[in-house]
Amino acid sequence: TQSFHKFFECWIVEQDQHLQELISAAREYEERRGRGCRQDDGTTVEEDVQDRTLRPLLERVIQHYEHYYRAKSRWAKSDVLSMFNPSWRSSLEDAFMWIGGWRPSMTFHLLYSKSGLQLEARLTELLQGLSTGDLGDLSPSQLDQVNELQKQTIREEKDITEKLAKQQETVADSSMVELTHVVTEMMREGQVDQAMDTERVDETLAPKEEGLVEVLQRADGLRLKTLKEVLNILSPIQGVYFLIAAAELHLRVHEWGKKRDARRNEHSENGHSQQH
Amino acid sequence: MAGMCCGVNIGETEATAPVEPSSKSARRRRMEIHQFNFVPTDSTVAPPLEDGGSRKRQKMDAVVPVLPPRECVNAVENCEVQEEEKVEEYESQLSGEITPETTPFDLSASPSGSQSELCLFPERPKFGMTSVCGRRRDMEDAVAIHPSFCGHDRSFPGGLHFFGVYDGHGCSHVATRCKDRMHEIVRDEFQNGGSSSWEQTMFESFSKMDKEVVECCSGRNGFSASTCRCELQTPQCDAVGSTAVVAVVTPDKIVVSNCGDSRAVLCRNGVAIPLSVDHKPDRPDELNRIQEAGGRVIFWDGPRVLGVLAMSRAIGDNYLKPYVISEPEVTITERTAEDECLILASDGLWDVVSNETACGVARMCLQSRKPPSPPRSPGNDIIVTEAGESSDKACSDASILLTKLALARHSTDNVSVVVVDLRRS
Repeated sequence: TQSFHKFFECWIVEQDQHLQELISAAREYEERRGRGCRQDDGTTVEEDVQDRTLRPLLERVIQHYEHYYRAKSRWAKSDVLSMFNPSWRSSLEDAFMWIGGWRPSMTFHLLYSKSGLQLEARLTELLQGLSTGDLGDLSPSQLDQVNELQKQTIREEKDITEKLAKQQETVADSSMVELTHVVTEMMREGQVDQAMDTERVDETLAPKEEGLVEVLQRADGLRLKTLKEVLNILSPIQGVYFLIAAAELHLRVHEWGKKRDARRNEHSENGHSQQH
Repeated sequence: MAGMCCGVNIGETEATAPVEPSSKSARRRRMEIHQFNFVPTDSTVAPPLEDGGSRKRQKMDAVVPVLPPRECVNAVENCEVQEEEKVEEYESQLSGEITPETTPFDLSASPSGSQSELCLFPERPKFGMTSVCGRRRDMEDAVAIHPSFCGHDRSFPGGLHFFGVYDGHGCSHVATRCKDRMHEIVRDEFQNGGSSSWEQTMFESFSKMDKEVVECCSGRNGFSASTCRCELQTPQCDAVGSTAVVAVVTPDKIVVSNCGDSRAVLCRNGVAIPLSVDHKPDRPDELNRIQEAGGRVIFWDGPRVLGVLAMSRAIGDNYLKPYVISEPEVTITERTAEDECLILASDGLWDVVSNETACGVARMCLQSRKPPSPPRSPGNDIIVTEAGESSDKACSDASILLTKLALARHSTDNVSVVVVDLRRS
């Protein structure tokens, strides 16, 4: 897991690079759009930019997310417990986590929040029936699809939460209760060597860890699926805005959390030294 | 700031709209507390819906817009299920002649023997509807739209049009039931009930609707239990209810009946005229009524009947009777040439957007998307169709823009908005 920690650190550096690319692409698009140029073949320049620049960029960013979840899945198989208690995350991020990652239904809040900001910023144009092309300009059918996807995502999220509950309850199944009793008795009788035998413990815990791996993979699967499906509903430029918002939120919250943790550690260390 | 130059003072309304966090979160907590006290079944521990169940639910969610699809461009919830619903609903006047597959255009362009009858509908309503889950985890709003739902064969050649918005609390099943049944009850009452006035018709209808909801919850009525999260378990079921704001639009009147805190607002010559007054427990007359019935209004996270429900009237909510009643307040408004549109919406909109802003937005949409030209002679169907489409698009644009504005202003509730064009062509 030390290596997944490293992987994560690299991944967010790459995410930041993608963020910069996404921001530049959005700027370029808006500039061209502002000039309202048309090309010889009648297509607008912004259509051209969407196809030539934005789509491939979106594709790359999505592949980067896929890469993350593939790596996570691989490491989870060898050490699932660290995925539920990730050392690479700050306690701020930890507090908002659902099954080792972001909550899938958060996607829709992110979308509505960003959409709302863009709507308010260009309300005049939208009121006049002009198209702004950004997330404030979600069409009826897009909103319809987002709404359906949201309902479906929440259903699946609840379903996976239930699966996790079942897994967590097995911590007190008869194999565990029996083994803890047996080991306690051995310790009372002074059979320390036998009591320390980890083989039977590992054997008993193995199916539980496997269950957790399965739940984690379903959760990660839903995260990736929700992200992709939202992007399928959006136009390329809307997708770019959405991914910008997603990366900004992820990176900044991560940094703030790290800073807070560092500050807290400083405080507690200072507290200790004062006591001594 | 942005809205100033187009005559919609969007910025200013921030101050008048109740957007401070306490009220927003209060509203959200209203339901949470409600569930905490009376609905021990947490939604997250309810068994997951099976495939069959979720399909059924989708079907139940449908809004039954019984029209060629273009009439309901913006039926955000339900486009894919319109067709099944339509057949059963719109038996008499539409079935047979009009199906979305075969006649994707104008009603008046319909071939076949019924044409003469259809031509008697001088006024087809133009409307747009948007209904979204928004920032909540459960969808408890329901919307019903039934153009020409009754009366067209009697004194009103154009028929009467029905629009209803229902905002459920505790669970969605009461709102769903209202959506499925209210218009049928109103139609029966109007045609056979012998009521002498609209007021009486609506009183009777709401009372019957309420009885049905209470009966179906007590299990006397066969009602599929898998469609909602409370699963109609009787003790909790009593603690479920819904607002209802219903508008019946006739050629010369708008009859609005309201129960709860959804709202109908008329936009007349740019002025917002509320056609319903929210039933809040601290409304002086409602407070009196509750106290006279022996109930109390307790301020706990806002005024609540018995400290529980943050509205003083609702369909359902059997456990709060007689303090919370299902009797509607009915307003009857004569239509005028200056009427522009009617907006019905759940509090997901009204919590964050004032009546004036909503009217301003809807008005802008209707005006900036005028039909390209007035309808031509009956022979020129395409022009008529284009005009109609463009007009309906305007209503859809209005409803979706209002919904997005509500979401932009951090509405934490489900948002449902219906915009009806009242302009005479």
